[in-house]
Amino acid sequence: MYFNSLDFALFLPIVFVLYWFVTNKNLKLQNALLVVASYVFYGWWDWRFLSLIVFSSLVDYTIGLQLNKAAQPSKRKLLLWSSILVNLGFLGFFKYYNFFIDSFVDAFSFFGSSIQPNTLDIILPVGISFYTFQTLSYTIDVYKRKLEPTQDIISFLAFVSFFPQLVAGPIERATNLLPQFFKKRQFHYSQAVDGCRQILWGFFKKVVIADNCAEYANQIFNNSSEHTGSTLLIGALFFTFQIYGDFSGYSDIAIGTSRLFGFNLKQNFAFPYFSRDIAEFWRRWHISLSTWFRDYLYIPLGGSQGGTWMKVRNTFIIFLVSGFWHGANWTFIIWGFLNALYFLPLLLAKRNRTNLDVVAQDSKLPNIKELVQMGLTFGLTVIAWVFFRAESVTHAFTYLKGLFNTSLLTVPTIRPTNLLVLILFFIGIEWIGRRQHYAIEVLLLKQSRGIRWAFYMIIISIIFVFNSDNQQEFIYFQF
Amino acid sequence: MRLFLKHILLFAVLFFIIEKSAWFLLELAPNRQYDRRLENLINGKINKDLLVIGSSRGAGNILAGQLEKQTGLTSYNLSYQGSNVNFHEFILKTALKFNKKPKTVLLAIDNPTQFIGDISIRYRVDVLQPLTKYNYINKTLVKEKVNNTLSYAFCLARLNKNHFRFKNREAPTMNPLDSFGTMPLIKKKNLNLVYSDTISAYSKALEEDSRLKAFKNIQLICSENNIELIYVFSPNFRAFNTSFYKRFKALVTKNQKIIVFNQDNQVYENQSYFYDYAHLMDKGAKIFTSEISDFINSNK
Repeated sequence: MYFNSLDFALFLPIVFVLYWFVTNKNLKLQNALLVVASYVFYGWWDWRFLSLIVFSSLVDYTIGLQLNKAAQPSKRKLLLWSSILVNLGFLGFFKYYNFFIDSFVDAFSFFGSSIQPNTLDIILPVGISFYTFQTLSYTIDVYKRKLEPTQDIISFLAFVSFFPQLVAGPIERATNLLPQFFKKRQFHYSQAVDGCRQILWGFFKKVVIADNCAEYANQIFNNSSEHTGSTLLIGALFFTFQIYGDFSGYSDIAIGTSRLFGFNLKQNFAFPYFSRDIAEFWRRWHISLSTWFRDYLYIPLGGSQGGTWMKVRNTFIIFLVSGFWHGANWTFIIWGFLNALYFLPLLLAKRNRTNLDVVAQDSKLPNIKELVQMGLTFGLTVIAWVFFRAESVTHAFTYLKGLFNTSLLTVPTIRPTNLLVLILFFIGIEWIGRRQHYAIEVLLLKQSRGIRWAFYMIIISIIFVFNSDNQQEFIYFQF
Repeated sequence: MRLFLKHILLFAVLFFIIEKSAWFLLELAPNRQYDRRLENLINGKINKDLLVIGSSRGAGNILAGQLEKQTGLTSYNLSYQGSNVNFHEFILKTALKFNKKPKTVLLAIDNPTQFIGDISIRYRVDVLQPLTKYNYINKTLVKEKVNNTLSYAFCLARLNKNHFRFKNREAPTMNPLDSFGTMPLIKKKNLNLVYSDTISAYSKALEEDSRLKAFKNIQLICSENNIELIYVFSPNFRAFNTSFYKRFKALVTKNQKIIVFNQDNQVYENQSYFYDYAHLMDKGAKIFTSEISDFINSNK
């Protein structure tokens, strides 16, 4: 089920009413309702893949309990590796099987021997990369004794499959989300209203910004050889806003929906396009994934301990794995590599933790230095996104070659005024709200209810009107 | 909880009322259009003996005014550039729903792309979108999955970003619409055309079921309403595609009327009569329309 569908518009109020009015007296029943609702939500797409989630959940639930009983380090290690193998095995098969086969074939062809590939027609189960990482975090935390394993299977199933964030995150840690299923949830007016507000902004980002940018980005990327440098720049910029609007929009809807049910999820995006350097960008972009890799890969690898070589090696591993997590294509790996390259000078100069605060923290506008830093960082990310969006590495290079030539100074052939105005409005609102968890969190809260509601109605009207003819799937569903 | 539900309900009711002001924009939208043929059709203003339906080949190659003069049948052209056979079916159904039944329908055939999934001819939702104030059009757009079901209740859901075009649509200089609904090509394209004798083989594998179904529906609608359906093959600046024609013949009954341009006429091998490979200039259209008139007159 997609958030931007009429099915969800009916599903959400039904679950909300059942949750707060029918099952509210019994915590177990309320959690069971969430499990059923989550399975319906997921099964709406393809019920056959529910078995994967259930199996994965049961494996980690059982291993968690066994880890608690096992005292021997070797047995505990064996249990941990069983969980890792099962979870990454599924992920590897569904997501990477064909990629590895194709890459082997290419490698053999390169050395002159031709082999017949035996690829499979595999459907990628939606959200597999997200819930796999979520369950893995549980087992690893139990193994590291950071978390007590739960005996409450219903809560555990609800934790793995919690519908707002099941298919595209935020990737929640068991330490944050799981305990919330054990406590009775109270309905708070302010929390619910805040949730609605965040859902509204998420829809604006997805339906208005992302889907409309997608229309033009697709048009330009799909026929990139026919466009001038300036139009290719417009295409890259549109994709930059598309991916942000799409993914952070999904996160906002997920977090907002969770708040309607009394849950608090972690912030996943913190206005990354206002970052002053790449290190800051990565502290603000897809935070739940970055911190997952930091805690479960970077730190176990030695993190920033050890010498310079170790730091560089670990940084490259993190970025390459992150790229590969996004998809089984060399374009994603190059995208990761490029980000590692961007990061490297900051790491070597020990300047990767200089911009920890919010840009222009105490002023309305950034100063010249901040503006230049933001511009440069944004420019670098735009170039990297070209690899992320391109069909192949060759396509990305041809795209960039077409972009960086004299035709960059001509007037772009595609320049939709309506959309450009909307993007400016969007950037303005995001800038005003950059100190909050999401842009309109406190916007107009000091004004009268009438003014606030008028603003929300304007946003809803824009969503209605700019609801793209070519409604796009959420990009991160494919990951 | 009670306060939250009260506020949500109040907000929804207020929004439902306020959003109705969007009707003003829906009302304005058709007035900005240059081509008002579809609106006239919905308002029952196209009561003619003969209708021309098709894509750009119908719009520019068949001159309805000349047909009226030469056949004595009141004629109107309802062809839309870039439209496919599914759209032609919609036009025919709309014509019959709101207007007097025509005696004759000329269906311009796109040789050889009539039934294949060619993206250059499509269902012209952009022609319908400015007219969403009409429930009939909105229903069609919902069916075409352009509008969603919310548009039955919300005016805003009928609006589209195209409604925010502040400039009126102006007449195209290349092929302005005449009072008979025809869009003859009057300005030559700066293009050197080379006549080709090669005939590409037609592949049934590329056909789309929905297009074949729409074509069959047009036949059925005409036969149920006693309308004479005549298929029209206009000239291309290349040899006539007999491979497609053979396939086409298999999809129509033996006694159905088909007009194929006069292949012996040397004019159709002269590039000055063509705008591009598929479209005639107005002087070429005059010659071809005379052929159609002769056919109609001889079959009266």
